[in-house]
Amino acid sequence: MAIPTLFLVSLIVFGLQKLLPGDPLLTMAGEERDPAVIEFLREKYRLNDPFYMQYLYWVRDVLTGDFGNSLRTGVPVSTLIAQKLPVTIQLAVMAMIFALLIGIPTGIMSAVKKGKAPDYAANAIALSGVSIPNFWLGIILIMVVSVQWRLLPASGYVPLTEDPIQSLRTMLMPSFVLATALGAYLMRHTRSAMLGVLSSDYIRTAKAKGLMPRVVVLKHALRNALMPIVTLTTLLFGELLAGAVLTEQVFTIPGFGKLIVDAVFTRDYAVVQGVVLCTAVGFIFMNLLADILYILINPRLRHPQ
Amino acid sequence: MNQSALAEASRTVESSSETVLSVEDFTLSFSESAKTNLIEGVSFHVERGKTLCIVGESGCGKSVTSLALMGLLASPPARIRRGTAMFGGKDLFALSEREKADLRGNDIAMIFQEPMTSLNPAFTVGHQIAEGIMRHRHMSKAEARAETLKMLQMVRIPAPESRLDAYPHQLSGGMRQRVMIAMALANRPKLLIADEPTTALDVTIQAQILKLIRQIQEETGTAMILITHDLGVVAEVADHVAVMYAGHIVEQGPVDEIFNDPQHPYTIGLFGSIPTLGRRQGKLATIKGAVPPLELMPKGCRFSPRCPFADQRCRDEVPPSPQLGPDHTAACWYAPLEQKLGARQ
Ligand SMILES: Nc1ncnc2c1ncn2[C@@H]1O[C@H](COP(=O)(O)OP(=O)(O)O)[C@@H](O)[C@H]1O
Ligand code: SF4
Ligand SMILES: [Mg+2]
Repeated sequence: MAIPTLFLVSLIVFGLQKLLPGDPLLTMAGEERDPAVIEFLREKYRLNDPFYMQYLYWVRDVLTGDFGNSLRTGVPVSTLIAQKLPVTIQLAVMAMIFALLIGIPTGIMSAVKKGKAPDYAANAIALSGVSIPNFWLGIILIMVVSVQWRLLPASGYVPLTEDPIQSLRTMLMPSFVLATALGAYLMRHTRSAMLGVLSSDYIRTAKAKGLMPRVVVLKHALRNALMPIVTLTTLLFGELLAGAVLTEQVFTIPGFGKLIVDAVFTRDYAVVQGVVLCTAVGFIFMNLLADILYILINPRLRHPQ
Repeated sequence: MNQSALAEASRTVESSSETVLSVEDFTLSFSESAKTNLIEGVSFHVERGKTLCIVGESGCGKSVTSLALMGLLASPPARIRRGTAMFGGKDLFALSEREKADLRGNDIAMIFQEPMTSLNPAFTVGHQIAEGIMRHRHMSKAEARAETLKMLQMVRIPAPESRLDAYPHQLSGGMRQRVMIAMALANRPKLLIADEPTTALDVTIQAQILKLIRQIQEETGTAMILITHDLGVVAEVADHVAVMYAGHIVEQGPVDEIFNDPQHPYTIGLFGSIPTLGRRQGKLATIKGAVPPLELMPKGCRFSPRCPFADQRCRDEVPPSPQLGPDHTAACWYAPLEQKLGARQ
């Protein structure tokens, strides 16, 4: 499944570049538009070769980590990605941890206390988590936590390798903001998965054994409810990367999101292409990982009859 | 023999054997406001090593009764309004949640109707049995595993060593029910409740499972409540029979008397037995009509809308449950039928 998808994505990304308006060579050749220069460039960039050959050359370059250079600054796209990707991954991982820490326990509690006060409270919080816009929450947090209370930095980024504590401190608010919608989503899914599992026959069996409610819920029910949640979490991680764009803008974090926004506004197609390809590969990898995890945690698939 | 002498006789019978569970006037409803209780005035008792079969159409409250005894009914909505269930000197209905959990799977165990869904798909069957053993007995993991293996042998699962680490989906329905039985018996319960344990299985497997339950019961002396739809099973396994209809026990008594001399019109209809034809095998007979919904339940005899002998008194007044023999009662204005109906005509 992953291989044909990758092929398709690479074809689209490559094809889009070909379809883009304007001939980059004309820009490169400068004012004179000397036919000889243009022909030289055509040869150099293999533009005279058939489409599929161009594609194969391009694939070879990409596979060796050569995404071309930024049209604006001339810096290799791979270097830009290598700089920015870790920032966004740190943001996304921290956001995911937040979302899991918020979503799963409240989801469990909400299911166990269905129809009682804790359930209503959790649902109300989840609803606000989904409906509060990230940029608004981000700005409010900056105003209160950074400006008024002076507790956390309002913006910027410190690499984890340089100063771990400061790095975590700068990322705390952005990752929390990014986590809200996801946490709410995970909470709802955990709740409904737990409700489904809690009414199943094997939970009655677990109680009939005399197991304590804690064991029944956290072992017998959660183990089964988590199966779909693990898959969901993996898939959502990809979406987090997409959601990071806005959050990075609000907190002016020099990450992947900022890279692509800047590239789009300056029409730096080489960078856009590299980033899009990278994101697509990330998504496909996450899908693959979700499938693998699903098999690993599901005894039915791990031990066929 | 007059009534009181009979009652006296039945008490002597009771005291000479060991009563494991004695339910008195058990009454339950699922809503605060309902005028009619779903289960009303149910009384029965089970003796050590003996089997009480509870029979009755589906929906009459057999499962609810057994789950209430196990303390497995969520409350709310379930509410026990009256009654006691004395078990080892304690009233099951008056225990705290913690005390109930300590009894469950230990002194009282239950086997359910649905072997395909009653085991947790995420854990091996060995783990699921051992877990129950470790919950109630001080045993190491290794000891519990050895004990689990013994239980799998006891329920005659072939190649038990290799089954310890099998997941439920790797076993057939019959094997899963054997696992459930092993789990239920692992801590040598004094009372085993089996709620239609063979209904979901193939006919040949049904016979095997039933034989197994019977054998184990003989070996261990466990008292058993067996809920079943199958008269063949009743004939084979029961010592006593309680016939339930719409939340009432309409008749109960020793198995021979229920088969050969049923006194309640519902029992007669259900067993469809004319005494001279001897014991009827197979499924319960169907009786014309259906159980009325709880809101439309007549205030007198709950069976009156379907009873061929019903009269105005039946519809208006709840019938008494006269003693018809040692341990034999029938809740009918006309019990014993021969005498009283004969007198009416
Ligand atoms: N949780 C519940 N809430 C309300 N009604 C219930 C509940 N559980 C069972 N009942 C009702 O109790 C009645 C008896 O059910 P049950 O004991 O399962 O019958 P059976 O004799 O077939 O085992 C049914 O009419 C059912 O609708
Ligand atoms: S009391 Fe009346 S209605 Fe009820 S079973 Fe007896 S004869 Fe029939
Ligand atoms: Mg039932």
